[in-house]
Amino acid sequence: MSTLNRREFLKASAALMAGVTFAGASRFLSPPGFQGTNKPNILMFVFDAMSARHLSLYGYERETTPNLKKFAERAFVYHNHYSGGNFTTTGTASMLTGLNPWTHRALNYRGMVDRHLTDRNLFRLVGNEYTRLAFTQNLWADILLSQFEPDIDIHLPCDSYSPYIHSSTQPDDLPSDRRMAYYVFQDFMSLRVDDPHTFPGSLLMASSDLARALAPNRNHISGEYPRGLPTNYDYSYENASILDGIGGLLRDSLAQAEPYLAYFHLWSPHSPYNARKDFIGRFEEEVQIQAKARHPFSGGNYSQSALQTYRREYDEFIADLDAEFGRLLADLERSGILQNSYVIVTSDHGEMFERGELGHATALMYAPVTHIPLLISAPGQTSRSDFHSTTSNVDLLPTILKIAGKEIPEWVEGRLLPGFGGNQDPTRSIFPMMGKDNAAFQPLKQATFVLIKNGYELLFYTGYPGHEDQFELYHLEQDPHELQNLFSKDITTTSHMKNELLEAISTANRNFQMR
Amino acid sequence: MRKRLPEFQSIVQVYAVIAVLFAGWTITAFLWKLSAWLLLLNLGEVFTIFSYAMAANFLESLSILLLLLIACSLLPARVLRDEFVVRGTILSAGIIGSLMVFVGSQMYFGIERGVLLLIAPLSVLILTAFLLQRASKLHQVRSIAVLFSDRVVVFLFILLPLFAVASIYVLFRNTS
Repeated sequence: MSTLNRREFLKASAALMAGVTFAGASRFLSPPGFQGTNKPNILMFVFDAMSARHLSLYGYERETTPNLKKFAERAFVYHNHYSGGNFTTTGTASMLTGLNPWTHRALNYRGMVDRHLTDRNLFRLVGNEYTRLAFTQNLWADILLSQFEPDIDIHLPCDSYSPYIHSSTQPDDLPSDRRMAYYVFQDFMSLRVDDPHTFPGSLLMASSDLARALAPNRNHISGEYPRGLPTNYDYSYENASILDGIGGLLRDSLAQAEPYLAYFHLWSPHSPYNARKDFIGRFEEEVQIQAKARHPFSGGNYSQSALQTYRREYDEFIADLDAEFGRLLADLERSGILQNSYVIVTSDHGEMFERGELGHATALMYAPVTHIPLLISAPGQTSRSDFHSTTSNVDLLPTILKIAGKEIPEWVEGRLLPGFGGNQDPTRSIFPMMGKDNAAFQPLKQATFVLIKNGYELLFYTGYPGHEDQFELYHLEQDPHELQNLFSKDITTTSHMKNELLEAISTANRNFQMR
Repeated sequence: MRKRLPEFQSIVQVYAVIAVLFAGWTITAFLWKLSAWLLLLNLGEVFTIFSYAMAANFLESLSILLLLLIACSLLPARVLRDEFVVRGTILSAGIIGSLMVFVGSQMYFGIERGVLLLIAPLSVLILTAFLLQRASKLHQVRSIAVLFSDRVVVFLFILLPLFAVASIYVLFRNTS
C-alpha cells in the first residue's frame, strides 16, 4: 500500500482546502459588479527581519539583492522607509492597521492588537470585493492575522509548504479558536525544543515534541544546507518550496478569484541564517564598518568579530532569498500576473549587528532595525521612480486602500505614499517605538521611542530599570552609521524634536487612558 | 469483563494520583507564565488558556488510566488487578514521573544533550519496574502508595468539576 509523506499530504490538503475555501469564497464572487471589475490584484511580500541597510538595492556594498535591484527598475522605490517597531508583532500590526504602536497596542512579544480596534485592519477595509488571502510563516504575525480572521477569506496554515514540522500542534489545529491557539499550544502546552527556558504545560504534548526532536532525522540536514535547514523553530522549510508554493497558488488557484489581496509574510531572512550551500562563502570580504562600543542598553555582548560573522551569514541568507524571489518574479512575469497586479515588497523590521547587539527586538532602535525596504510595482510598470522622503509602514494601509479604490478612514495614522497621491514632505514626523516590557493595558512607561524628521533621528530611552532616561540625536543623512551623537551639540534641533516627541508620547498616553 | 477490572474505589484512588500529578505540573507551569501573560492578555484570555490546559489534563489523565485498565484486563490478575491501588499508584507515578524527568532534563540541560536526555527518565522507569516487582515485599512502599492514593482523592472534588467546566468551555469555544 502506498503511503503519503508529509509533503504529499500537505499538497493534497492544500488542494482540498483550496477547493473548499473557494467553494466558500464563491459567495464573494457572485454579487453583481464583482466579476468583470478591472480592479488590480495586490500582492504583498513581507520578508521578516530584512534590513534596508543590508540590501545592495539601497547601496550596500555586498551584492545581496541583484534580483530586487532588477525588480526596482519597474517599481517605486522608497529609500527612507521605516517600520513602526523593531520586532514582528509591533511592525506587522502597524503595517496591517495603519496605526502607530502606541495606538494599536501590539507592543509585547506575541502580543495582539487592542481588542477594540480589530476591525481596523487592511483586510476589512479593502472589502469583500477582493478575495483576501493571508499566509505567514511567522507565528506571531499569525496571531494578528487570526484577530482579523473574519475579514480574511483564505488564511493558510503557517506550516504550508513546510514539510518538516517540529511541534505536535500548530495554530490551525484549532480552526474555530485560532486567535488563542498560539497561546494554548506554542506558548504554553507544547515544548519549544530550541528554548530550554520554557516550562511546557502539558506533559504528554511536551514529551511527544521532545521525542520528535530527538529522532535522528530531526533537522533533515542535507548537503544543501550545511548550517541546517532554515527554521522558525516550530518547523523547518526551504525558501524554494515556500516560493514555489506561493507561485503555484497565484498561478493556479487565485487566478479564478480575481481581484485578490494576497499577503505573504515569509520567515526569511530572519535568524537562524541558514543559507543554501551555493550562497555560503559568497561574501568573503569583510564589510568596512567602524566598530561601535557596546551600548549600555544593549541586551547582548557580542564581540565585533562575532558580529561580523553573523552579518556575513545574514547577508548570505538575504542573497539566497533574493535568488528564490527572483525566480518567483520571473514566473509571475511569464504567467502574466504582473500585468494586472500591484506587487509590494517590504519587511516588518530590520536586523542589527553592532554595539554588542545581535538581532532586532532590542532596546536599541537604531536605523538597522527600523529602516526597511519598500518597493511597489504597478501593473505593467516599466520604469523606476525613487523617493527619498521619510515614509512609515503605517502608510501602506492608506496607500493600498487608494489602489483598491476605497475610502481612507479618518482614524488612519498613516499617509498616502509619494507616487500614490502623497507628498514628499521632509517635515513629516514618524514615531517607531519598542515597548515589549510595557503592559499593553497600561500607559507607556518603559520603552524606547524614536522620532525621525528632517533627516534627523531622536532616540529616547525611558523607564529601563537601573538606567536614567537618555536621549540621542543623529543626522541620518550626514551620519548614516549613527556615530556622532548630536544631542548636546545641536541644541536647536534637539530642543524642537525632544519637545515634539515628549508631547506625542504624552498625547498617546492621554488618549489611551481616555479610551 | 467487569471481573477483569479492579474495584471502582481502587480505580478512583489511582485516577486521583494520575490527575493530581498531571494537574500539579500544569498549574505550576501556568503560574510560572502568568506574569508574562498579564502584560499582553486580558483575564478572559488567560482563563481560556487555563481551560484548554485543564481540558487537556482531563484527557491525559483518562488516557493513562485507560492504559492501566487495559493492562489490567489483559494481564493475569496478580500482576496488576489484585493490588491495583498499590501497583497502579506505583506504575502511574512512575510513568508520569519519567515524563516529568524527561521534559525537566530538556529544560535544565537543553536539547543539545540529545539522547543523553533519556538517561534520567529511563532510570525512573527502571526504578518503577523494580518497585513493582518488589511491591508485595516492600511494606513501606505499599504503605506509602496506599496512603498517598488515599489522601489525594480529596483533590478530585476540586479537579473533576474544574475538568468538567474547562472541557465544556473549550467545547463551547470550538463549536459555537
